[in-house]
Amino acid sequence: MATEGLEFAGHSLSRASLDACVKCTICETQCPVAAVTPLFSGPKYVGPQAERFRNGESVDHSLDYCSSCGTCTLVCPQGVQIAELNSQARAVMKADHMPLRDRLIGQTVLMGKAMTPVAPIARAALNNKPIRKVMEAVVKVHADAPMPPPQSQTFEGWFRKRPTPAGPFPRGTVVFFHGCAGGYFEVETSKKSVEVLEHLGYQVLVPKQGCCGLAQQSNGLFAGATKDVLKLCDDLRAAGKDLTIVSSSGSCTGMLKHEAHEIMGVDDERLKDVGTRIVDMMEFLLDLHEAGELPTNFAPIGMKVPYHAPCQLKSQGIGKPALEVLRLIPELEVVDSGAICCGIAGTYGLKKEKYDVAQAVGKPLFDMVKATSSELALCDTETCRWQIEKSSGVKTEHPIFLIHRAYGLS
Amino acid sequence: MSRVIVIGAGLAGLVAANRLADGGAEVLLLSKGIGGLQLGQGTVDVLGYNPQRVTNPIKAVAEVAAEHPYATIGAQGVLTALGYLKELVPDLLVGDPEANYHLPTAVGALRPTCLAQPSMLAGNLKAGSSVVVVGLRRLKDFQPELIAGNLGRTELPDGGRVAARAINVDIAAREGEIDSSGLAFAHAFDVPAFRQQFADLLAPLLKDGEIVALPAVIGLKDRQAHSDLAAKLGHPVFEIPLPPPSVAGLRLNQALNARALAAGVRMVSGVRTVGFAADGDRILNVRNATVPAEREYRADAFVLATGGFEAGALAMDSYGTVTETLFGLPLVGTENTPLIHGDYWGAEQPIFSVGVGVDSQMRVLGNGKPVYANLRAVGDVIAGSTRWAEKSGDGVAAASAVLAADSILKEL
Repeated sequence: MATEGLEFAGHSLSRASLDACVKCTICETQCPVAAVTPLFSGPKYVGPQAERFRNGESVDHSLDYCSSCGTCTLVCPQGVQIAELNSQARAVMKADHMPLRDRLIGQTVLMGKAMTPVAPIARAALNNKPIRKVMEAVVKVHADAPMPPPQSQTFEGWFRKRPTPAGPFPRGTVVFFHGCAGGYFEVETSKKSVEVLEHLGYQVLVPKQGCCGLAQQSNGLFAGATKDVLKLCDDLRAAGKDLTIVSSSGSCTGMLKHEAHEIMGVDDERLKDVGTRIVDMMEFLLDLHEAGELPTNFAPIGMKVPYHAPCQLKSQGIGKPALEVLRLIPELEVVDSGAICCGIAGTYGLKKEKYDVAQAVGKPLFDMVKATSSELALCDTETCRWQIEKSSGVKTEHPIFLIHRAYGLS
Repeated sequence: MSRVIVIGAGLAGLVAANRLADGGAEVLLLSKGIGGLQLGQGTVDVLGYNPQRVTNPIKAVAEVAAEHPYATIGAQGVLTALGYLKELVPDLLVGDPEANYHLPTAVGALRPTCLAQPSMLAGNLKAGSSVVVVGLRRLKDFQPELIAGNLGRTELPDGGRVAARAINVDIAAREGEIDSSGLAFAHAFDVPAFRQQFADLLAPLLKDGEIVALPAVIGLKDRQAHSDLAAKLGHPVFEIPLPPPSVAGLRLNQALNARALAAGVRMVSGVRTVGFAADGDRILNVRNATVPAEREYRADAFVLATGGFEAGALAMDSYGTVTETLFGLPLVGTENTPLIHGDYWGAEQPIFSVGVGVDSQMRVLGNGKPVYANLRAVGDVIAGSTRWAEKSGDGVAAASAVLAADSILKEL
């Protein structure tokens, strides 16, 4: 069983990078989890080192404590796919005893669909200590872990009900990908992204779309995740060929760009097509600016805000585009957190047994955020925003909020 | 504002990026990882051996052979760069360009280096002093018996010897860990309470007047950790850098990166730069191997700071052909065949002198003239020195970076 699990294209791809490891330990020094707990023996040990001894069986169970933030791969000077190897090995390790909790929290669409119609009740339930304690005991989701904020209206509901913009659309047409969180929970982020795109002169198409499968992937449920990501590719391709796909969900964008291929070995023309066309919202704006096509008649925003670049955005190899775009707003001072990770890493920090580790990982960031502003913090991905907001007490939004405001749209 | 792209985040790349940003350029730093600086000792070697032990590096720089990078850079170039480095990280690098320190290593040898961290300076030993080398039982990369043994039998550069003995202290960097990395200890030493606990264990074991040698793990973030510990012990204390993960190297890497960010340098890391486009003698853009589609970055000038063979900037194929892997630049030193001889304990391998040739502005030369007018090469990719043997790598990197940056700023 376990041996079969390792025999897929993604693993061969990652394994091919194994011998490039020179044991320099750079990944060890940057790993946010190993820095705060001895429960994880570090990316080099469980990654390239342990991989040599894996013959279908797991040799180091501390692997389960890897948060899959991807920092090790990002910092490796030799191109070793450390995080990918670890995600793959963990999927195999967990295959015959996958916790029910890990199956459940991968079902992001289900959560959104269940909560939206009963948003006020869901909100109250998620803020209710006794209910959360029961949740912790039954499904092992930590009682203090951040939860998605249920909304009364989905993004799709808003998009379909509003008056259709008449145009003209001098910039042509783009497709908008909102992701599950952007559809059900972070509805404002999606709305503001669409409004900024339309303000710039784009016609925005929003095809009916499903989940990218990231939460399943990070929990080792590769079969379900592969099915979902390819279904999503079909959804997005249905909106039109060759159109740029813009997304305000940084982590889902990473799944489509490279994770589905590099971690799960999905080798499919549809994924390649979508992966090549999809851009992060702030990356899109920075590209426009570089081409001299971004209007910079921004109204001043006299604020100092902390900004945290999420791991899954950094892993895309595009730097920190939000920082560059936000710097175009007069009087706005944006302070880069410089922190490696907020700790949540998708669903990692929700889990009962990992909650304390995730909080320790994020502590320097939470302290930095609190010291920089009591009003607002910025971050590109949803679960990271929930984590930062819950743990620092500072309202945390997508950078598009300030772009939207600086264009006079809010 | 003109844009300059620096490729590579080692010492050369970080110094060039800082200098360019300070001079008003818009700087984009592209790097594959986070640079190899943290693998080093956290010091700046300028020239340690020529091949005799060097005491005044600036004087020795002025006397190198014509093919050595220092012959092009010149002593003034090195002086300017060292001054700039000290300005960049004033609390981390100190030293006199005209006098090398001789600092104990993790095998108890004395290593000549020019700039060092304040926490290492008590290791610049005088004849007749007594050193106690203190090991941490749970840190396997630091063996006090080996260090003290070798140190005791070594003659100091000015003559004379020191007395050295070894002791060990057992303290847990964190609960439940028997075998900790230097980094785990550095995090622990950042906490004042841990330093007190350690000082309480160690103080009774010290003899009057002893200089205390410790592994370089005395704090990563807290710059006061070393002086605080020395005060608690009431003895001079110095750190000996360890093999990677080198906390001393990490400190320098983090400080130079933080300085670059503060100066407005934009960084795109985690992706290798794999291609470029040129028009005649000008580079127009470089391409990053971002997946699934490459990304293109345009600039007015480019600085190649990609390192040497170990960083993949230079490569040798199975036919023995050496190439510069990004721009395919002409190389010098390849005529010395065989590039690798079989006598591995014998003379220096000729391959290690291979690299690009540069003019006084660090423009890469081919047939005696610049290959690209807007391309400079800095650091290890430059031909003509065997930096680990003569201990010249940091000086060449910093000085070539400053010269390249200054000449670009003059043109923009």
